[in-house]
Amino acid sequence: MTSSSEPLPEFLSSVKLKYVKLGYRYVISKLVTLVLIPVMAALLLEALKLDPAEVVSLWRRAQGLSAVHTLATVFLLVLVATAYFMSRPRPIFLVDFACFLPAPNCRVPFATYLEHARLMPFFDEKSVRFQLRILERSGLGEETCLPPDNHYIPPRNSLGTARAEAELVIFSALDQLIAKTGLKPKDVDILVVNCSLFSPTPSLSAMVVNRYKLRSNILSFNLSGMGCSAGLISIDLARDLLQAHPNSYALVVSTEIITPNYYTGNERSMLLPNCLFRMGAAAVLLSNRRRDRGRAKYRLLHVVRTHRGADDQAYRCVNEEEDRDGNSGISLSKDLMAIAGEALRTNITTVGPLVLPVTEQLRFLASLVRRRLIMAGARPGWRPYIPDFTRAFEHFCIHAGGRAVIDELQRSLRLSSEHVEASRMALHRFGNTSSSSLWYELGYIEAKGRMRRGDRVWMIGFGSGFKCNSAVWRCLRSVETPVEGPWAECIHRYPVDIPEVVKLL
Amino acid sequence: MELLLSVVSSILLLFCLLSLVRRAVDRWLCRRCYLLDYVCYKPSDDRKLPTDRCSEVIMRNPRLRLPDYKFLLKVVVNSGISEETYGPRSIIVGRREERPSMADCYEEVDDCAFATLDQLFRRTGIPPSRVDLLVVNVSMFAPAPSLASRIINRYGMRDDVKSFNLAGMGCSASPIAVDLVSNVFRSRKGMVALVFTSESIAPNWYSGSDRSMMLGNCLFRSGGCSFMLTNDGSLRHRAKMRLNCLVRTHIGANDEAYGCAIQKEDDVGRVGFHLGKNLPKAAVRAFTENMQRLAPKVLPIGELALHAVRVLRHRLLKAAATNSKEPAAGNERVVNFKTGVEHFCLHTGGAAVIDAVGKGLGLNKYDVEPARMTLHRWGNTSASSLWYVLGYMEAKKRLRKKERVMMISFGAGFKCNSCVWEVLRDLDGGDGGVWEDCIGRYPQQTLVNPFLKKFGWVNEE
Repeated sequence: MTSSSEPLPEFLSSVKLKYVKLGYRYVISKLVTLVLIPVMAALLLEALKLDPAEVVSLWRRAQGLSAVHTLATVFLLVLVATAYFMSRPRPIFLVDFACFLPAPNCRVPFATYLEHARLMPFFDEKSVRFQLRILERSGLGEETCLPPDNHYIPPRNSLGTARAEAELVIFSALDQLIAKTGLKPKDVDILVVNCSLFSPTPSLSAMVVNRYKLRSNILSFNLSGMGCSAGLISIDLARDLLQAHPNSYALVVSTEIITPNYYTGNERSMLLPNCLFRMGAAAVLLSNRRRDRGRAKYRLLHVVRTHRGADDQAYRCVNEEEDRDGNSGISLSKDLMAIAGEALRTNITTVGPLVLPVTEQLRFLASLVRRRLIMAGARPGWRPYIPDFTRAFEHFCIHAGGRAVIDELQRSLRLSSEHVEASRMALHRFGNTSSSSLWYELGYIEAKGRMRRGDRVWMIGFGSGFKCNSAVWRCLRSVETPVEGPWAECIHRYPVDIPEVVKLL
Repeated sequence: MELLLSVVSSILLLFCLLSLVRRAVDRWLCRRCYLLDYVCYKPSDDRKLPTDRCSEVIMRNPRLRLPDYKFLLKVVVNSGISEETYGPRSIIVGRREERPSMADCYEEVDDCAFATLDQLFRRTGIPPSRVDLLVVNVSMFAPAPSLASRIINRYGMRDDVKSFNLAGMGCSASPIAVDLVSNVFRSRKGMVALVFTSESIAPNWYSGSDRSMMLGNCLFRSGGCSFMLTNDGSLRHRAKMRLNCLVRTHIGANDEAYGCAIQKEDDVGRVGFHLGKNLPKAAVRAFTENMQRLAPKVLPIGELALHAVRVLRHRLLKAAATNSKEPAAGNERVVNFKTGVEHFCLHTGGAAVIDAVGKGLGLNKYDVEPARMTLHRWGNTSASSLWYVLGYMEAKKRLRKKERVMMISFGAGFKCNSCVWEVLRDLDGGDGGVWEDCIGRYPQQTLVNPFLKKFGWVNEE
């Protein structure tokens, strides 16, 4: 994995036009306020100049107006106010979420993983050593889990076993969610399920409809092939659907099914997912009902999606393909980090203006201007100003794709170890659970008792395509510990110190 | 002073009112979903499946015995399809049927996607960079990166394009994709959406001997469609149709319905698509429920009232009959959908499906002709079949301004989805699309199946 150099220089030139456009749009949208302020100020000054007699005479005049006039004015004002409030986009609340907790017998400590790898008939000695080295540096712990059928030698891979894993993880998460929220399945109006590497027909969403006997007029969607950032894509879709349908509940299920995707060849770039991907699932209940405001945990503020697929290198950096012997697996290219960094930069140029405080944005703009003005005599060691996102967010959930991803983002965004702790610990305890990893991380923050009312959370996911998606949430009520969930039994042991390399042999 | 106050406050109030009105109008306009254009896929002639080739492919399976061959031939003979339907190249040449390579799967989808999308962009004149929303629906092939990403890569779309890759949603996924688009449209105005729908046959070829799973091999054919939707009012004059309403019904809560069309393994572990015996029953249930919800949205009050009276009369007569132990007077309780819709795009699931749906809707031979002829010419192309049927109607110059078109399809899950479009202008200027070279031969008066001539003996045995 290459380490990227200067984080932001090229991006500045592409970003400045965007900032100008954003600035212009900001001015136009706030035109009324900008015009109103000086007018109000002028009126206030005028009013202060009036003496009491004039005020009294004005009041008498107002009283003298006929009833019709007053009524009409009041009616008009009320109408305008109501129309204004009703035309605003509906707030989207996250009532609660639940993550799948694997049973302890699914654990794959390093010793088990390596023993199995050695006994697998298809791995050669070099591949086993390679996987050992990956595990040592992976940041995973000894409690990550693989599905029951992956514990066989060789793993039992069939449509039936894949479906069994799907039923296990999805139904468990949904049962937990229903218990936590008291949700009645018949009340669900929208269902979005995403699972990248397993999509049977009928879909997993049909499987959920069947198991929980959901209504026949449900709006269900099944997304597949969309990678590790698909959880946020599902949230985006659920949000659009909730905007179009008032008074509704949306259920979002994110998972990745491991059973059919175990790579049985010796190509190095394709062995990485075997080492990093682990079993997991998350179920989220979203609502746009006003009465849920009291019990909801978070409110969705923004979702920003970035797709770098137009660039060939980005498109191919995470690719499902067949090796020379016809074994299929996911190949990860060497410039994954660089591409992820590029996708992140594009994403934050849109997220930044939405969330950064005005002072940060002005500082960034000033640094751009300064660079422009003194470009001719620019010092070679000049560093661009990187906006401080810790002033916009209290918590960060970075997709636990692997240790390298978290390291890279910590560096680019200048985050402290506490900010990335949730990601690192989720990677350690649960491994890379793909699209559901963000929810395990959020669960960690809650279990640690750090989530307070008013806190803002930034979820960043990356995935094949190459996509970078972010979601911004605001916490509506402080989450009190202890929190039921996958962290309940182990949170007291965290955070742990994860060494750079864990010596396994 | 007072004058200034009143003038300023009235200007501000007016401004507020106008901006609110504008916002409301924008919201209302966002709900509009226009169909700009659609392009169906016509595979190359080397992929045609005439009688001999079809039987050749069937006979290639070493696990089949004579009764199995007879069963398969019987299905094909009675299917209502012609010699001109298309199959995937890798299956026709017999290349790795049992374990198709990813390259073959991609080839099948790429051929369809790129051919139709190239043509669609050319015809509409809208560049790929203008696309804001991309929805891809291929039920049985969902690689990573997704097919949506593949299309974004090929056409160099913008980095803020919203892409969705639907999979596993069965033959009724066209209305589902339209539903997704029309819902996302409500969040922003001036959007252009691109939808690609197709099915992947090569990776799902069943090479075992379970009869319920072999049906899929016989009935499904290659096809696909790309279409462009928009809620941009400035493009309205170029649009062909406008979406009036859409109804989705999912009866997956019923175990029988969920299991009647399902991908699973047979006794020896071969994966295939099982079509169960209770599929027609599930289809009828889903269809009835869907029509019950659709009827009030499309039928005129007169017809609804008439139907209510008919139902009431029938019930009273039935009650009277049970009391007096005489047989009740026969009554056609079928709602006449032709009072609200002029044209019907029925999913070409098979001859029996088309006939059953036609009967349920009260249609005559003329109304089911497009679906019947599409089944004959193209076979069951899964989710894209509705667009081939629409293409037939357009090629026959049947679509006039203000007429309404109903699309109805069924799919695994079990789902029945329908939508109603309104034609915005007389669609008689087109070149016939994929029907161009053969529309003159249709409608065929006698659909004598060429398979019948050669293999008709299976019906007699």
